[in-house]
Amino acid sequence: MIELITEFLSSTVMTASLLPAMLIAVVTASMSVMVMAHRLSFLTVGVSHASLAGLGIAVSLSLPLLPVATLFSVAIALLLALMPKRQGISEDAGTGILFAGSMALGIVLISTATTTRVDLFGLLFGNILTVTADEKLWLYLLSSLILAMMLLASRAWWSIAFDAVTAEASGLPVNALRLLLYGLVGLTVILCVKLAGIVLTAGLLVLPAACAWIWGRSLAELWILSTAFSVGGTLIGLIWSYAYEWPSGASVVLALCGLFVVSWLVKTIMPTQR
Amino acid sequence: MGSSIVKISHLRFGPASKPILDNISLNVEGGHFMGIVGPNGAGKSTLINIIAGLTQPDGGHIDLMGECLTRYSRHRLLKQIGFLHQLHDHQPRLPMRVSDVVAMGMPAYAMPWQRGNDRAAILDALALVDLEPLANNDFRQLSGGQRQRVRLARALVRKPKLLLLDEPSAALDSVSQDRLFRLLRRLCDETGMCAIMVEHDIAAISSHVDSVACLNRQIHHHAMKGENIPDDVWRAMYGEHIQIVAHDAGCIGCSPDSDETHHHHD
Repeated sequence: MIELITEFLSSTVMTASLLPAMLIAVVTASMSVMVMAHRLSFLTVGVSHASLAGLGIAVSLSLPLLPVATLFSVAIALLLALMPKRQGISEDAGTGILFAGSMALGIVLISTATTTRVDLFGLLFGNILTVTADEKLWLYLLSSLILAMMLLASRAWWSIAFDAVTAEASGLPVNALRLLLYGLVGLTVILCVKLAGIVLTAGLLVLPAACAWIWGRSLAELWILSTAFSVGGTLIGLIWSYAYEWPSGASVVLALCGLFVVSWLVKTIMPTQR
Repeated sequence: MGSSIVKISHLRFGPASKPILDNISLNVEGGHFMGIVGPNGAGKSTLINIIAGLTQPDGGHIDLMGECLTRYSRHRLLKQIGFLHQLHDHQPRLPMRVSDVVAMGMPAYAMPWQRGNDRAAILDALALVDLEPLANNDFRQLSGGQRQRVRLARALVRKPKLLLLDEPSAALDSVSQDRLFRLLRRLCDETGMCAIMVEHDIAAISSHVDSVACLNRQIHHHAMKGENIPDDVWRAMYGEHIQIVAHDAGCIGCSPDSDETHHHHD
């Protein structure tokens, strides 16, 4: 075991991807608390799948992948935040429609483009090991933006999740804050796509907070626990990925699922442990 | 006593041909405790929501603390208002301590760069509703009535100049209900806070409040303490099918010729 870890740490591919992976872990853990509090897990599924259309557009127009996908995801997330109100469509139906439609568009665009440029398997299931220097810069930029916004607005979002009417009556700009949250979920999804791929992104944005929910009793505790679970799960996943040559994203999501099941079992067996 | 806290003139909500609220005018001063009564669908909650800045009226004018309530002034004005909305008490999902819930009522709560988490103020607010010993408990594990009292503490922790309550006693038993009305009475008298409370049951509140406004689309009558509400007002509000039942003296609304009676609706 120790041998494996030292071997893991001396592997240049792994150490190069360790910092971005840890950063993604911290950012997704932070956002996942809000995703959980605002019941946005289906939104993360919808936006991550919709980002395939953004990638498809970028591929067929030969534009840089990440910036275009980022813009597209944020636009989709904001559209989902606004659509239900305007048209009287329930939010989950709206998400379902956009999710299927843009995924279909993405598949058509990518399949008609020159396929040599795109690693479709990498997009769908993620591969943190192939992160380029440009992508790293983009990740650092987005991460610091998201973390800064979290620090500033997390209490307001928390207050809205607890009781939106009272939050509005106490003078918070509830609608603007909600739009901001949806937009940031869009951004975070793009970060995750690099690590976990389109299909597994929701795992990174739901599981850390779901684990923390079992133990935490306040916003601060949830945030700390969620980050701890996320960083732990990512490390375990990357080591598995290295040891058994499993895909990195799937390994991380599996590790997080394992942590959740263990947490849940421990809590169920010892319910008085508080 | 005190300056004007809420001044409403000719307020209208809904289409002019079929308004939900029509020609509402009110002036409530600091230290005043007002009850609003009326049948279901009378527009009581709508009126409270308009005063709380949640709903835009279609006509008329509102001044809060002497300042006109507009889109631009509302964020500032609302910081001086406590609001306890009508309870839809589903099981709360967020893991929170009781003191964290109360902390949300602090005006600077959402601004982490300002120091707003005044523990002493939070415990004082909890003490007002007799829940100080539960400050560190899990909010999700309280009873419905306790949760309602925590919400009240949350509205009070900002020391509001105006407290708006929409049927606050819905989750409370009659002892807690009486304790709530006494607390509101005391806060109005001691701190000069103004309270406006929507209630179904005039009998429960009449010995605590300073005045009662009878609302059904418009304010049919605004009775001060010691004043009576004429029979035709009751009929205009509730229709012809009202019962008159015996009640103690000294309440607002009873007829002068039979001050042992109280109008009761079904």
